Amino acid sequence: MLFLHFFHWLAQTGLGIAIRDSTWAFAIIEIIHLIVLAIFGGAILMLDLRFMGFGFTTQPAPQVARSFLPITVVGAAILFVTGALLLASGPMRYYYNTPFRIKMLLFFLAIIFHFILQIRVARRDSSTDYISTRRKAAGAFSLFLWASIAIAGRAVGYF
Amino acid sequence: MPSLFQICEWIYRTPLSTGIRESTWTFPIIESIHTLGIVLVVGTVAVFDLRLLGLIMKREPVSRIGHQVLPWTWAGFIVMFLTGLLLSIAESATNYSNLAFRIKLVLLLLVGLNPLIFHLTIYRSVNSWDVANVTPRRARVAATCSLLLWTSIIVAGRMIAYTKH
Repeated sequence: MLFLHFFHWLAQTGLGIAIRDSTWAFAIIEIIHLIVLAIFGGAILMLDLRFMGFGFTTQPAPQVARSFLPITVVGAAILFVTGALLLASGPMRYYYNTPFRIKMLLFFLAIIFHFILQIRVARRDSSTDYISTRRKAAGAFSLFLWASIAIAGRAVGYF
Repeated sequence: MPSLFQICEWIYRTPLSTGIRESTWTFPIIESIHTLGIVLVVGTVAVFDLRLLGLIMKREPVSRIGHQVLPWTWAGFIVMFLTGLLLSIAESATNYSNLAFRIKLVLLLLVGLNPLIFHLTIYRSVNSWDVANVTPRRARVAATCSLLLWTSIIVAGRMIAYTKH
């Protein structure tokens, strides 16, 4: 299986070994992951709430979407990088971890779904924009995906 | 008058504390809600702080952003307070000597004082700087303190598990 080979390779990289051998590297990278997660999560929450018709109701949805693009894009990127570093410190442990596998699958789905949604709304003309049932459903689904990822992420430590 | 140490020991021996602590699922679930609730509190308050710093939604009045964001922050705070209280009860004796826990409590006090001062002073005049190009320095200081304090609280919270002995 291709993934297994990748995980084996990752375990032997200099970076992975360096993080594994360091006393504090893992903790520091994990803390950064958590802090960025909090801010990224807050942006996702306010954004998806807006798509569902709550929160920043006095602003057009395209405007809210545009406002949060820097945070969601940079946030997702940092989460991905810190996540990869955490993974590199001990890939095999995660490879056989069920919540981790679920989290990665959901993350892949969420990134695609969420950013298509956010970018689509951001590109709309504010004056002609309106809230639709489809958008509400999309916002709710996006929120559900990200919440599931967070729960799966927390569960990794328990399995 | 019993000492704080004795009070913590007493709480530790109550059925509530023991029940949560020795449970299979209860403690992990409460702890997970607490960890994920960080997004509700810190994530939303960060939006308001970023607005105060003029980094996001600059054209929106500060007070309007506050009205629309802070109710969610409060909801999150209730969740965090209740789950945090239960966790503290469950681990009262071990937390007593945990430096990270003590630091976290002090930081929580400060992070409560910061918005209290903010709302009682500079925010009272928000009508005069609601749509200003640059918010007053005191507002920006409060926002920076908020972000720094919440970041430190997250770090301290994470360190609790590392400083157990």
